[in-house]
Amino acid sequence: MAQPIHVGMADLVVSKHPATLVTLGLGSCIGLVIYDQVSKAVGMVHIMLPDSRETKNIPKPGKFADTAVPLLLEELAKLGVNKSQLRAKMAGGAQMFTMPGKDSAIFSVGTRNVEATTKMLAEAGIRVVASDTGGSKGRSVEFNTETMKFTVKTLGSSTKEI
Amino acid sequence: MENTSGFTNLHMDAIREVGNIGTGNAATALSRLIGRMVDMDVPVAELVPIYEVAAHYGSPETPVCAVLVRTEEEFSCSLIFMIEEEKANLMADLIIPMDISGMDEEMQLQIRNSALSEQGNIILGAFLNALAQITGWVLPTTTPAVARDMLGSIMDLVSSMFGVIGDSAMLVKTNLRIKDLEYDLSGNVIMIPDPGSLETLLSKLGVL
Repeated sequence: MAQPIHVGMADLVVSKHPATLVTLGLGSCIGLVIYDQVSKAVGMVHIMLPDSRETKNIPKPGKFADTAVPLLLEELAKLGVNKSQLRAKMAGGAQMFTMPGKDSAIFSVGTRNVEATTKMLAEAGIRVVASDTGGSKGRSVEFNTETMKFTVKTLGSSTKEI
Repeated sequence: MENTSGFTNLHMDAIREVGNIGTGNAATALSRLIGRMVDMDVPVAELVPIYEVAAHYGSPETPVCAVLVRTEEEFSCSLIFMIEEEKANLMADLIIPMDISGMDEEMQLQIRNSALSEQGNIILGAFLNALAQITGWVLPTTTPAVARDMLGSIMDLVSSMFGVIGDSAMLVKTNLRIKDLEYDLSGNVIMIPDPGSLETLLSKLGVL
């Protein structure tokens, strides 16, 4: 099996089949994969924030949902994928802390990440076939092009495949 | 809005000094609470790329326990006390006046979280009290929130808070160590000013 490729915060990685892409310890961040279900080419991005519009300087477009999704599709296109065969899976967007009486935007960044990513995928016409988002637990995820499954690990509960 | 990369050595020194006084006060408060000596390392203030915040503290999947409080009036910031989960449980047991090992796991977790929430509140409250004394600000804290999870997941909060304004995080890294135990017990205090607040603080301290 191929060496797993680690996708760090705001990183964006694309690869042809065979590949295993991993991202560890997602909290409010999103691990998004888009893959070609026929050629099995895949791309993963580790999204941190929903919206780049208030930021002037964007050294890493993978950081924001609205810049990450178009770039991921662009990089996949370079691998010659067929857009109609693309599918998406995502995990993450948890809210790690809850404060009684506080509905501060700081704590809900995970929810906003999920919403923004979902919206970008819908606009691009990419179907989300599986997701494991929200809640209050962190996740580690691994995508294998052989099975095209997303393995989601949380502390203290069993691993699931989506 | 200022970019976090525009800091001079003078600014970094001022922030480190805040960390120093804050942690000193936190160590004293914790020491009183648990009736043991508490040591601290000299704080380090540094700018770290937001993408590397978790790696700065350890491996992303390490189980940790974190207590978070916020202050939101004259100066708004979040403060986190973070400790490895195994050590967190040992620290909690120092103030739990009975043996809880026979209880069911969920009950043990609740009792320990309640103890940790109190310890975190005392540590972080003392840190803020020191800051209040230096600045003359009134800095009330929110009820503490406790989370147990992977280091990387907890640190997402820190990265995303700093990420809104730029690509580096101003970290004041300090270590509190409880002495005279047969095991090492230490944790980190992390201060995360809201966007713009660091400038408010530096200006109050007369270095901006």
